[in-house]
Amino acid sequence: MWHSMNHLMTALQVDSTGQPVQYSNYGQPVVVDQSWWQQITSALTQSTQRVLENLAHFLPGVVALIIALALFTGIGALAAFILRKVLTAIKFDDRVGNGKSSSVIPNLQDWAPSHSPTALVARTAFWGFVLLGCVIGISAFDSAYTGSSQVALFLLPYLTHSVGALLLFFAGNLIARFLARSVLIGAVNAQLQYARFLSLGVKWLVLVLTAAMVLDHLQIGGLVVELAFGILFGGIVLTLSLAVGLGSREIVSRSLERNVERAPEAVAPTPAAEAGESLRHF
Amino acid sequence: MATTNTTPDLSSHPGAQTERDAGLLVSLPSLPPDSLQATLAHLTEAFPGRPLLVTTPDGAQTLPSGSSLRVVPYTPVNASASPWVLAAADFVNAYELAQKNQAQSVLLLGGETQSLSVDALRSLAMSVEAKTDLTVACYDLGPREGLVNSAILYPVTRALYGVRPRFPLAVDLGLSLRMAEKLATVAGRYTAGNQPDALLWPVAEAALAGFSIQEVEAGARVLPPPAGLDLNGLLGMIAGSLFADVDAKAAFWQRARNLQPRLVQMQTIPPNDAPADVKPMLDTFRLAYTNLHELWSLVLPPASLLGLKRLSQAPPNAFRMPDALWARIVYDFILAYRLRTLNRGHLLGALTPLYLAWVASHLQLVDTGVAPEKHIETLATAFEADKPYLVSRWRWPDRFNP
Repeated sequence: MWHSMNHLMTALQVDSTGQPVQYSNYGQPVVVDQSWWQQITSALTQSTQRVLENLAHFLPGVVALIIALALFTGIGALAAFILRKVLTAIKFDDRVGNGKSSSVIPNLQDWAPSHSPTALVARTAFWGFVLLGCVIGISAFDSAYTGSSQVALFLLPYLTHSVGALLLFFAGNLIARFLARSVLIGAVNAQLQYARFLSLGVKWLVLVLTAAMVLDHLQIGGLVVELAFGILFGGIVLTLSLAVGLGSREIVSRSLERNVERAPEAVAPTPAAEAGESLRHF
Repeated sequence: MATTNTTPDLSSHPGAQTERDAGLLVSLPSLPPDSLQATLAHLTEAFPGRPLLVTTPDGAQTLPSGSSLRVVPYTPVNASASPWVLAAADFVNAYELAQKNQAQSVLLLGGETQSLSVDALRSLAMSVEAKTDLTVACYDLGPREGLVNSAILYPVTRALYGVRPRFPLAVDLGLSLRMAEKLATVAGRYTAGNQPDALLWPVAEAALAGFSIQEVEAGARVLPPPAGLDLNGLLGMIAGSLFADVDAKAAFWQRARNLQPRLVQMQTIPPNDAPADVKPMLDTFRLAYTNLHELWSLVLPPASLLGLKRLSQAPPNAFRMPDALWARIVYDFILAYRLRTLNRGHLLGALTPLYLAWVASHLQLVDTGVAPEKHIETLATAFEADKPYLVSRWRWPDRFNP
């Protein structure tokens, strides 16, 4: 398109009287009809005007988005600061920590990133405000367009969905990693020889599920994604089943035999059950 | 919050003055009828002619003939669901009962009380009545018993707090009133948060408060088995609680302390059967080394990982975990617990195979004729020697650590 426009612009020249002149392939000047030139000029001007109009509609929306994001980020930082002070004052970490000592169920402390539950709550509040800023900014951006706008029809749904998709992707990765580690540790402590394989299987199951959910959320691929997900998910499950049931048959049978032989100690090594081994851990 | 409804209130009874003068209150856990009767008979024999106040949650009891005990039934509103260990609710209940009955000291006894000897009961009472704030029972156990205590609880408590009770989580305690109050205050935070099963560390609390601690010989005793918990759950619960307590008392134990002299020597019951089968434990460790190496490398420094690599390649009969390596591993796990390097559940799960490796090494050493207690004492010394490492990394966790 740009190439052809460039060609047109270079082919058209203006003579000394101001008349547009086009040169033939043999170098002979040919005078162009003035109405053609006017039409082209008019078309170009109108296009430029439309672009500028769209830009004029677009820019306030962008500015509104940026302002909303910046404002809510600031509010979020302030809220996180206040929360951190208040929670530190009421010894929130200690109160949450009190519940940890005997609880087998993971509590808030387990999910705290690297410092404390107070930091976790403060960060959650901060990112909550940032997310709110995004949502409000996008709605301000949306209102800058008419319903029939092409940009509004195609860009905005992706913009709004991409926030949710990002969250889904982030959460999916976290859950996949958490579950993979849980399965790995549990399987090793249960003396399963294929612990790593099991852990990897669980990790990829969750990642595939996450990827399918993200694509579905972004409305990309449609039925193809659903079909591909079904095939891939089912394939992984089938592979795991076959690998455990057939491919690793000997390993599984050896592992199971060992477990059966040592059932009181290895499968559930409770001190009471270990009486046969006369081993008491507590 | 855990409270107790004591019935009847002794102050309204004839002879209440005599009971007040008794001073000592014996708090019993819920026991089967036979066990309760046996315990009451032991108490009668241990304290003949003494109007001892005994509280039980099991309702009114028929006393042995000639008994001068005064049994006070009570209904615990918020009882602990872990009868195998003294939990927060037990301390709250004991202090409230002591306060209500104006007792000056408390004997807080755990499950399977009937197996506690008359001499042990007498020793505990004598110690607590001699104005000792905390009296801890020391049991005679076999070399294959109380292994979590020997591997982690005792060495860590001794190294960090400078106190020597061999069983920091003993199920039989003698408490002065102020010690009972102190423990009830700490326990109250847990029960208020609906955590009546939370573990408390009386030895650490007493050390922190500067109270006197005494250990008395309690002989052989049947320790109540933890019900419904496998090794992973048990280790996670106990080690997690200890690590959290160490974290909470960091300001205290980082100061250097002198180790108290030991007055009681634990007697080890000799094993009566063949050498222990350590192969499953070694298998678990080797499997874990190939699978959990990535997780361990987040927690342990390269030198410890190298030590573990050598261990994983060692033949079964030469499998020995050096005491310094085990001490370093436990300290690094305490640090990782504090820093949340890993999810805490995962961290404690990753400790289990390493603990089993230590158990295998310890049992193999004992089978060669080394006295178990001697090895445990050497291990505790290794923990003491390595304490500066813990203090240093606690203060500067990001410092280079080869």
